[in-house]
Amino acid sequence: MTTVTKSASRKLTIARAMAEATAQEMRVDPRVFVMGEDVGPLGGVFGNTRGLFDEFGPERVRDTPISETAFIGAAVGAASDGMRPIVELMFVDFFGVCMDAIYNLMAKNTYFSGGKIPVPMVLMTSTGGGYSDAGQHSQCLYGTFAHLPGMKVVVPSNAYDAKGLMTAAIRDDNPVVFMYHKALQGMGWLGTEKGATVAVPEEAYTVEIGKAAVTREGSDLTLVSLGAGVHHCLRAAQALEAEGFSAEVIDLRSLVPLDRETVRESVAKTGRLVVVDEDYHSYGVSGEIIASVAEHPGCRLRAAPKRVAYPDIPIPFAPTMEQWALPNADKIVAAFHQMLSES
Amino acid sequence: MTTEITVPADLWEGETEGVITAWLVNDGAEVAQGDLVAEVMVEKAQYEIEAPATGRLSIAKEEDEVVSKGTLIATLES
Repeated sequence: MTTVTKSASRKLTIARAMAEATAQEMRVDPRVFVMGEDVGPLGGVFGNTRGLFDEFGPERVRDTPISETAFIGAAVGAASDGMRPIVELMFVDFFGVCMDAIYNLMAKNTYFSGGKIPVPMVLMTSTGGGYSDAGQHSQCLYGTFAHLPGMKVVVPSNAYDAKGLMTAAIRDDNPVVFMYHKALQGMGWLGTEKGATVAVPEEAYTVEIGKAAVTREGSDLTLVSLGAGVHHCLRAAQALEAEGFSAEVIDLRSLVPLDRETVRESVAKTGRLVVVDEDYHSYGVSGEIIASVAEHPGCRLRAAPKRVAYPDIPIPFAPTMEQWALPNADKIVAAFHQMLSES
Repeated sequence: MTTEITVPADLWEGETEGVITAWLVNDGAEVAQGDLVAEVMVEKAQYEIEAPATGRLSIAKEEDEVVSKGTLIATLES
């Protein structure tokens, strides 16, 4: 494998950052291994296990048959027996065939055993659309996983956070669901988001699970998002700056635990809130963020909050219809304009 | 001395065009010979481009730009 440049300006895609974090933990901890579909010689269809098979071999980087129930169930067993598996559910949309392994076994066994049997595993899974892969390959389902207690849930927006969150997830004694957005992976056919490929230190480090990041400071409006939505927010903030408005952008990074404090502090300063989420509009992350602000006794909103989320429809296949449905910077700017006209 | 970074003729089979999907070093950075500097995607397969020499990188083809074998994508000044 080619070595990535050692200069301080070395950048990684999220795909490479995930693989590097995994490799570094595998080098120091023999309990860590990887399982999933096409994670071996192919290096993962989204590039996030590239190089691992060559370095660690088929014993620790295991290609599985297409039976998510079997290999996620096997990972729960391995984790319960002292290993630290990383398993991949290739598309989060496939959760339907293996939710018993994920939710009745992985998430709950620690509770069922009175804490005697921890389940230290990472379930990594791809999210998001935008490249016409239709309704069973394009969902985010952040709210679905964050809603169900027993699992930590993280969603990186850039390669620095991806490496740090992956390292933290592998070292965590709880099950962690690591949801990575396909458009941020640095794989061209899934869309290219330049802002996700950033400078990443070579040494291992962690990003604390449960801490949001203030990605851009501002005083007139708080934009809250996660994953690919953070980049839409940054573009919207730039457009609003040209109009004379100062938008703060918060990257949640983690849905469970959720850093409500950072969101509340920002809204206390700006008084205005727009939540941007590529997951479905109803019963999801956007509603939870707004409720977390509104229910706090210190809440001082100057305008009714807004959300720019995915309409409550299955993801369309037709490119024009899919692009119509996705969140983008123009929709965020429009939501803010409407907010001003209403208040 | 200026060294050109071009898309190697043997990077992939055939004459299909590719797209630069990522620069893994900033424009203007110092890189060493053999460092991985860019990724090119051809029909869903990703290929790596290494620095052929040590020097200061000047990017000529940005991300999302279409490239063929032999296309000049950057230069190195040493």
